[in-house]
Amino acid sequence: MKIGFANIKKVLKGEAKENKEKKALENNKPEEMEKKETLEASGVGEQQDMKPGYGKIRAEAKKKSEKTGLIFFPAFDWAISPTHPEREERLLYTRDQLFEEGLMDLPEIAEYKPRLAEYKDIARVHFCVPDVSAQATTPHLISAGCGLVLGDALMAGEIKNAFSLARPPGHHAMRVAHGNRGFCNINNEAILVEYLRKKYGIRKIAIVDTDVHHGDGTQEIFYHDPDVLFISFHQDGRTLYPGSGFMNELGGPRALARTINIPLPPATPDEGILHILDELVLPILKDFQPELIMNSAGQDNHYTDPLSNMRFSAQGYAKLNEKLAPDIAVLEGGYAIESALPYVNTGIILAMAGLDYSHVREPDYTSGMFVQASRDQEALETIISTQLENWDNRDFLTEEAFAKNEAFYRHRKNIFYDTDMIQEFQEESIRMCPKCQGYISIASTGQKSYKTTKIFGVSVPIYACKACQQEAFEEYKSKTHDLKYDYVYLQDKKADQYRAYNVKLRQETLL
Amino acid sequence: MLIGIDVGGTTTDAVLIQDGDVKRSAKVPTGRPQNLLKALLSALDAVSQDIAPEKLKRVVFSTTIITNLIAEGKTSPVALLLIPGPGRNPAEYKFPNSFLLKGAIDYRGREIQALEEREIKAVATHLKREGISKVAVISKFGQRNPSLEFRVKEIIEEEIPGSKVELGHRVSGKLNFPRRVATTMLASATKEQYGHFVSEIQKALFERKIKAPVYILKADGGTLPLEKSASLPVETIFSGPAASTMGALALTSEKESSVVVDIGGTTTDLALILSGKPLLASKGAKLAPYLTHVRAFAVRSLPVGGDSAVRLVKSREAKAEEKEEEEEKKTAKQPERQIRIGPDRAGPAYCQGGPEPTPTDALRVLGLSEIGDLDLAKEAISGLASELGKTEKESAALILNRAAELIATAIKDMYLEWEEEPAYRIWELLQEKKEKPKTVVGVGGGAKGLIERVAEKLGVNPLIPPHAEVGNAIGAAVARPTLTLNLHVDTERKEYSVAEKGEIVKLHRTGIKNINNMRSGEAEALAAKLLQARAESFGISEYAGEAELIRSEVFNMVRGWATVGRLFDVSMQIPAGLIPEWKGGEAK
Repeated sequence: MKIGFANIKKVLKGEAKENKEKKALENNKPEEMEKKETLEASGVGEQQDMKPGYGKIRAEAKKKSEKTGLIFFPAFDWAISPTHPEREERLLYTRDQLFEEGLMDLPEIAEYKPRLAEYKDIARVHFCVPDVSAQATTPHLISAGCGLVLGDALMAGEIKNAFSLARPPGHHAMRVAHGNRGFCNINNEAILVEYLRKKYGIRKIAIVDTDVHHGDGTQEIFYHDPDVLFISFHQDGRTLYPGSGFMNELGGPRALARTINIPLPPATPDEGILHILDELVLPILKDFQPELIMNSAGQDNHYTDPLSNMRFSAQGYAKLNEKLAPDIAVLEGGYAIESALPYVNTGIILAMAGLDYSHVREPDYTSGMFVQASRDQEALETIISTQLENWDNRDFLTEEAFAKNEAFYRHRKNIFYDTDMIQEFQEESIRMCPKCQGYISIASTGQKSYKTTKIFGVSVPIYACKACQQEAFEEYKSKTHDLKYDYVYLQDKKADQYRAYNVKLRQETLL
Repeated sequence: MLIGIDVGGTTTDAVLIQDGDVKRSAKVPTGRPQNLLKALLSALDAVSQDIAPEKLKRVVFSTTIITNLIAEGKTSPVALLLIPGPGRNPAEYKFPNSFLLKGAIDYRGREIQALEEREIKAVATHLKREGISKVAVISKFGQRNPSLEFRVKEIIEEEIPGSKVELGHRVSGKLNFPRRVATTMLASATKEQYGHFVSEIQKALFERKIKAPVYILKADGGTLPLEKSASLPVETIFSGPAASTMGALALTSEKESSVVVDIGGTTTDLALILSGKPLLASKGAKLAPYLTHVRAFAVRSLPVGGDSAVRLVKSREAKAEEKEEEEEKKTAKQPERQIRIGPDRAGPAYCQGGPEPTPTDALRVLGLSEIGDLDLAKEAISGLASELGKTEKESAALILNRAAELIATAIKDMYLEWEEEPAYRIWELLQEKKEKPKTVVGVGGGAKGLIERVAEKLGVNPLIPPHAEVGNAIGAAVARPTLTLNLHVDTERKEYSVAEKGEIVKLHRTGIKNINNMRSGEAEALAAKLLQARAESFGISEYAGEAELIRSEVFNMVRGWATVGRLFDVSMQIPAGLIPEWKGGEAK
């Protein structure tokens, strides 16, 4: 079933006000609590303010090298289950093609060795239930670690751009991780973003999610963060997992239009996707001027992908990466392991390395085999004009939304974990702070059959103000006495300290 | 008795080994590259004279003949017929004299595009007109299905009678098309001249009534019967460093981990032995400008040797060259001028009548060697000493220190490269490479005096074993054969291929009963059986028992949620090692 896209704009505009069950609840300042422990006493450090112009490091580093960094980590000994699309075989034929092409021998390519991400790198993004080791097993740590190795190489100026061709993927993993959803436990891109911000003081980052599925995890993690621009194009959520990614999902009140969703009609070919890129994605990126562009690089828009219905080709993928020119691409989905992946990956690597990819094509591909339908073209034009308008109005939209909210912005969410069959209920509240983007608190209940786990997490943004940091700490402390929760977390990115409190055992761990 | 001969760039070394001990050794100058055979034979004669030929049990050479042929441009012109299929733009390959053909095979060995015979015939006509009769045909994924290569060969042989066609999948079955192209091209270009060399050696040995089996050393430290080597000439490139590594292996105790430092006249070659096994390069050897599939030790060569020219340069220049020195200068007093060693060799050492001071002169001045004239050596160093404002001995020590520093840095880089080698499996990544060598073994002429300084900088023990100066020839004499076997099984296509043999065989011919349910154990047993047969064909079946499994992996092919077949990749090898005669000798 299809709805005319032209209607969405109207719906969106009308909805903007009462959308997302946001209720400005009464000025719910945390009660003054008897607190012997103060922030300072507990040893919460303070992040030094970053000097302006730190992002120039990246610009300078970029000039130094002509090489494309590559990590190929096929995890030939890991699968979700033997016949699952995420299995050992997934990158086998890609390995054959890349190695037979001799890509690793090219002077334009520098191959790197993976490493394991540290638990702290994961805690900087996620509230892992009950702890990091439960959600991030060795393969996950390696896959996330691949991004970090390349991020470091990029910042050191050893390479001009990078491609982390590693599995398992991550873009469906949200801030709270009760289990695996959409083949993902932890979010590789988000982990890299927070790592780069912490280590190098990068501030403005753009993530372009080119996977056929909506990158709902990445969207959720950065939904309230005006410094991270998240753009996702994907097959329309009414026809594909995870069923989200509509144009009205524009970001939290402090970051409106920093989330841009582009739901594409099924069967959109190269032409349509590249049109969206030229007319919508690239102009917004140019305007945003990020210090770093990341491609959340799924390969399942391919015309042979077994899990989706798009018409993208290896040539299309190569062109996309050439035009987008991401600083770093991170592999996400893509399950046409024989008919697409060997060719798509060869194309992406050649394009990123600035080499000729014109001879990369699937055996059954002939140019012109897919044509953009004119009705779909109209839908694309509507998306472009709507989202450009939203983008242009972003400051106005944020100001308006901020004015409407009082001390906190609250909303509720239901999240389903398809892989692990967990149903999660969340209530999220964001401090509407006039000085910074405000801290976030989340009360979450995860239900897996009869078992229920309740957690409470407080997250302090890296560039939070001191008052928010203090308030967040107090909220964490107060919840550690609340027996309704099993675990309470404090994610203080400003201090780079991550606390997890087991309420039943009265034990705190600090990362 | 065993004879080992290593033909090096400057000298040719030979040893005669009896009962595990070096009975005789000889060094003769190699001279000009054209004299290679002469040098080889005079070294042979020097150690074998008045020995009854029938007492010789084994003769092994390591030679630079292939390297020389290529360097001197004495190779035959070869036309490359490439079948690249989809992927990189083949126009970017920098191979001379190549022709691109239509047709393609994919990673599973399926033909995805047919050949165009008219196109091949047109190329053949052109080659015939140009008088080129050596042709190399290489198809991408030809090792998974060589049918296109075979068909092109048929057409070429029909069109150009008497042509010699080399096929890519026969030269190497490893993944990496450009490397296979280069290796096949070199094989084709050197085969004829190498064949002449082999027959000349055979003639010379016949004249000397030597009937012992003759072997040639390969770059992976293994020996190959001389007559078999004629079909695989490129395997013998870089046998020099392989000889000294095998020498170090023979002269150190078993299972030891060490760095092998072979300090020659113009270069120093480095290699690693880990738990008694020389480290192989993860990819093939490089024969500038080409990267090949030739299995070789992970050797590193740096342009510092006993005869390297020693000069003083302004410190800033040195600073730009050597970052480490920068650190040093911050703390130490700043000398205005810095010692630079190499990269060139101006001639022999000054003390041996050369034009410029060298590390050999420094060694002589410090009494660490007896080579050359002491007064000349002092004269060489005194010039530098006065400029540095130091005594001759101090200056000589500085020179050696600098040389040792360069070598130690290169060793550290080599460790780093080894540690940073990519891993593709979780268990590989979790295996920490911590086993750093505790010994620096010096072999070759220039080891004395320098090895101790290198070891000191690395914080490990120096070792210069007896006969170190002819360690390379010893290595050649006692190296055993090596052999590899890479088996690829596809149960859906119901066939297997052996990379080294280049043929696709149907699985039902193996006697494996339930092909669809084939297990890793069965694939490994098949590999072992094939390796045994291959060892027999090389006349080295007595070593088949030494074969080890280096990789065995299985992938389930799942289509539509059901397993439709399995892919197995099994690699086995007879690794580099020593012949039992040597170990037996050691025991005595």
